[in-house]
Amino acid sequence: MKLCFVTVGATASFQKLLEQVLNSQFLEILAKHGYTHLLVQYGKDGQQIFQNFVDSDQPDHGITLGGFDFQPSIDAQMMMTVEREALDQKRGLIICHAGTGTILAGLRLGVPLIVVPNPDLADNHQQELADELEEGNYVISSSVEDVGSAISRAETQKAEVLSMTPGNTTLAESMSDDLCFLD
Amino acid sequence: MSFSLASLSFGGLLLWCFVLAIALGASILLFLLISLTISQNIIPSKCRPRGSPTHLLVVLGSGGHTAEMLYMLERMNFDPQIYTYRTYLVSSGDNFSADKAKDFEAQHVQNSQGHTHNKNYTIVTVPRARRVHQSYLTAPFSTLRCFWACLNVLRGLHPDQRLPNEYNSLYPDLILTNGPATAVCVVAGAKLIRFFLCLAKCAALCLGLRTVSSFALAPKLRTIYIESWARVSSLSTSGVLLLPLADRFLVQWPAQAGRRAWWGMKRTQYAGWLVI
Repeated sequence: MKLCFVTVGATASFQKLLEQVLNSQFLEILAKHGYTHLLVQYGKDGQQIFQNFVDSDQPDHGITLGGFDFQPSIDAQMMMTVEREALDQKRGLIICHAGTGTILAGLRLGVPLIVVPNPDLADNHQQELADELEEGNYVISSSVEDVGSAISRAETQKAEVLSMTPGNTTLAESMSDDLCFLD
Repeated sequence: MSFSLASLSFGGLLLWCFVLAIALGASILLFLLISLTISQNIIPSKCRPRGSPTHLLVVLGSGGHTAEMLYMLERMNFDPQIYTYRTYLVSSGDNFSADKAKDFEAQHVQNSQGHTHNKNYTIVTVPRARRVHQSYLTAPFSTLRCFWACLNVLRGLHPDQRLPNEYNSLYPDLILTNGPATAVCVVAGAKLIRFFLCLAKCAALCLGLRTVSSFALAPKLRTIYIESWARVSSLSTSGVLLLPLADRFLVQWPAQAGRRAWWGMKRTQYAGWLVI
């Protein structure tokens, strides 16, 4: 299984992104890159768009489609994009809105991330974070329209960049320091 | 004639009151600034024997902050042998954070020692400082209520707290927080208690009640604030408020490093990414 997981977040609707990923062309791109599954967390207003696409007779290019509106924790879904040989699971992809929690959870899993800021939500410091992460090559930032072409960029993103574990001991040292232990 | 004299003296009185009030306000402000500056610059001496029991207070609050805090504890390879007792502080109604704290204890603390340690941590709940969509008119009152509850937690008087006897004080040794509104109450409360403890110490010194034990004690209620990983260049509201109050201020992006509340205060310290 190779999964592309799309999440629009819980707070606002993001219909433009849904329309972009729920169409035959996008599925064709996924199939070309070896994806087998597409899972969409479509939010509270997305059910109709999802259902319309499922009901339409557009070709699915062999991609298995799944969707749900919202869950308090999407950790389990995100885990399905992690490479696990025992489960015959290949490294997948997460496409998300610029929500900090999702980006952070994705980075921690070492999965390629395509961040698509929601133009209807003007949150300055979320945008700033997305830009900074793009600059550092940690994520791929994309506009809604270009999300299809961002997939090939995500595919080539090096595994080393994603699985960085710098072993930061600053917090442990600071805490120990502030407790004033005898040397 | 006499009328105008009376009114003049009344006006003069008013003026004097005004001047006095300004002078009083200014000296209180000056006193506050100086004592905060002194407090932040004091480096406590190393006097805690390694392996002695320590009590850590972790302030959790709202989804994002809680997730980041627990990521950080996980990332630093949290050692329950050092931080022998943990108190997790959550806001009322925030079951998510309480559950996450329980999960963290179950996964990371018990695994490393092989047996259960339910006695070595508590989760305490305080009322929210300000609920979402709460009017700003009533917010000061709910903040005061939260502050009072936090003071009680810091003094170990919350009904859910049952600190084992080997801890010689009810005050937590170290407070770790990353920015929910409650954190401001907790850190400010810790400063206030330390101010009174310091006064008591000075009074004891002046009265000649000097006892060895009260001076050999390791510092209590030390506070560490970690700015959210999501803040690349601007501090959060909690961060701005806690800049003069926290003993240590860690930031995760270089652009945030080196800030301070005012001249003579400690600067923020760049720590790199702590959450990943």
